[in-house]
Amino acid sequence: MKWIRRSSGIAAAAGLALTLAACSGGAEGAGGDSQDGTGDVSGQIAVAWWGGEARSAKTNAVIDLFTAQNDGVKVDGQATADFSKYFDKLNVQAASQSLPCAVQLQGRQVNDYTKNDLLMPLDPMIESGAIDVSDIPKSVLDNGRGTDGKLYFLPYGAAYDAVGINTTLADEAGVGLPEEGYDWDDYMSYLTEAQESLPEGVRAIDSNGGRPNFFIGWTLANGKSLFNDEGKLGFTEQDLTEYWNMWETVRKAGVTMPAARTAEEPTGPDQGFFATGEVMSDTIPGNALTPATETLEGQGEGQEMTTIPFPSGPAGSGNALYPSGFAIPVSCDNVPTAAAFIDFFTNDLEAGKAFAADNGAPTNTKVLEALIADDSLTPTKKHELELYKQIVESDPQAIVFPPGYQATFESSFKRAYEDVSFGKSTVEDAVKQFFSEANSSLGT
Amino acid sequence: MTSVKTHTIPRIYPGTPVKNTFVRAIIRHALLICVLFVLLYPLLWLLGASFRPNNEVFNGLGLFSENYTIQNYIDGWGAGSASFTRYFGNSLLVTVVSILGNLFSCSLTAYAFARLNFPFKNALFAILIGTMLLPMHVTLVPQYILFNKLGWINTYFPLTIPHWLGVDAFFIFLMVQFIRNLPRELDESARLDGCGHFGIFLRIVMPLSLPAIGTTAMFTFIWTWNDFLGPLLYLNRSDMQTVPLALNAFLDSTGQSSYGELFAMSVLSLAPIVGFFIVSQRLLIEGIATTGMK
Repeated sequence: MKWIRRSSGIAAAAGLALTLAACSGGAEGAGGDSQDGTGDVSGQIAVAWWGGEARSAKTNAVIDLFTAQNDGVKVDGQATADFSKYFDKLNVQAASQSLPCAVQLQGRQVNDYTKNDLLMPLDPMIESGAIDVSDIPKSVLDNGRGTDGKLYFLPYGAAYDAVGINTTLADEAGVGLPEEGYDWDDYMSYLTEAQESLPEGVRAIDSNGGRPNFFIGWTLANGKSLFNDEGKLGFTEQDLTEYWNMWETVRKAGVTMPAARTAEEPTGPDQGFFATGEVMSDTIPGNALTPATETLEGQGEGQEMTTIPFPSGPAGSGNALYPSGFAIPVSCDNVPTAAAFIDFFTNDLEAGKAFAADNGAPTNTKVLEALIADDSLTPTKKHELELYKQIVESDPQAIVFPPGYQATFESSFKRAYEDVSFGKSTVEDAVKQFFSEANSSLGT
Repeated sequence: MTSVKTHTIPRIYPGTPVKNTFVRAIIRHALLICVLFVLLYPLLWLLGASFRPNNEVFNGLGLFSENYTIQNYIDGWGAGSASFTRYFGNSLLVTVVSILGNLFSCSLTAYAFARLNFPFKNALFAILIGTMLLPMHVTLVPQYILFNKLGWINTYFPLTIPHWLGVDAFFIFLMVQFIRNLPRELDESARLDGCGHFGIFLRIVMPLSLPAIGTTAMFTFIWTWNDFLGPLLYLNRSDMQTVPLALNAFLDSTGQSSYGELFAMSVLSLAPIVGFFIVSQRLLIEGIATTGMK
């Protein structure tokens, strides 16, 4: 009855739902008439995505283009605004074998679904020519693979994490931008130097030791892997100790926001301390530059910001891509139409223009070029796309996130570092605590 | 009545000067108003933020700003593929049908448990109470499968029909307890005058149960109006959305969020709840006063 009070428990139910789906999933097998996606493109399919009004309008525009090209096809669009609520809904649909024929996923969750055999591998459809991947760089496409190496979703838009710099504050502090090819040591000394001349109350960076985004970048740059083949942690306790000690040094020197303030920071990139001009630098999703810029303008102090790639290291670039794409569930009864739709959404030039890179940069290089050349895009949006191009050229490593990543890794990581930054635990103890928590629930 | 009371106070406590109680009342009210202000501050902030331009919404914790605009209300009302006129209409429909359903089914069931004798009455009542212990997550997936097989996805049936079947054990329990406290002599006198069970139910029990009815209606209203998960699962089409779903559409953690419009529409969505509360609160007091006279 009191549904409103209990939404926090939905995540737990979602886990249960997926397990239930596993029990009932095998028997039905592929409900579709073809495994390779060839056949009649007709009839009705449902398509589900996350995103607010703006994105839904653009997605619906693409759907209209698709139905106009294919007579007799009807597409039932299911939009859920909130990212986490979207997955609540998906899990219930998965458990009841009624997933829409095209569901939008990211690498961080895809293996929660492949673990229970809920998704169809797309490789046969690529071989048959139903889905075209010739214009998608391999390093980007590989982000759609599951733990078994098969492709489970077709990435259409790639988000990436970037380092945001408040250029106004950086210029005032006399440090400018970090030099191209900077590494983590450079970044830390850059921040420390900036802190000396920043205005009262402004810090160089957030207290960020507990954010997985920066840590993922650090492991990539240093040639460590986040996860091993069994889906357990792939780095050593020593690595994490070194990483957290690095953050503790700058935190104790007063370069970061105090831990207590970071703990209560609003989560959205357009509400955080970086967007409000209270810290000079922070990691933000590359496509959050536009909304964060708007918030900063609203502060009325005429400050400006930009994004640059992550620090690199001995192993090269520290940038990871987080593409979103569509997957086809095994319960889908209209595979040819679903395959045609996701191919159209990802590869069609007009579709790409209608969607206007709303959810990360287009993975299809032709669509990307067309958008960069398009004059109607704002300079901020273009900067987002150009930085993506630069990152893809450095051949970023694809990360396979094991099942349970979202549910356990992110929260344990943050909590363990907060124990350190609030002085409740030593770095060594927190690392041990995190390793036992994460390894007990990851990859199972 | 009240004027009589105020005059009697000095007579009961002849040593207490009137002025003293007056001063005490002022202090007490001042304290209460301070606490109330702290309590309401987030709501006031919401109200203030809803009148600021979108990119100034998060400028600090103050209530006031240099720029005021009602653009958030205008843009917000027209946002989405259907406008908020539609969303408020949808919410109202679901809420009214749910309230009627709950009042109908819960009061009948409660009357049966409180006044009738039938086999397995206690066992059935225990089962009914037992359903209150079931977390809603346990039934979430089976329910979805059931409604999906019935073809009820994308209809308002999953959100309203269950209320007509008396599944809200809490309200039944509330009414049973209330009806049990009504004197049986009233039933018996009605029976002597020729009433059957429906007569007793409609003429005696229901009019005396106004407080319980008011409570049921009020809570059903608040819970249904604010329900997010039910509409999220069962309503896919955007023109069928209820207000909480439409509010959620302003937020997009991976894209552009419109907080100003969100806050403006949140303020409007709170208005019916506050209004309904005020109305049914009066009903509650009336109900209690009526039963107090018996």
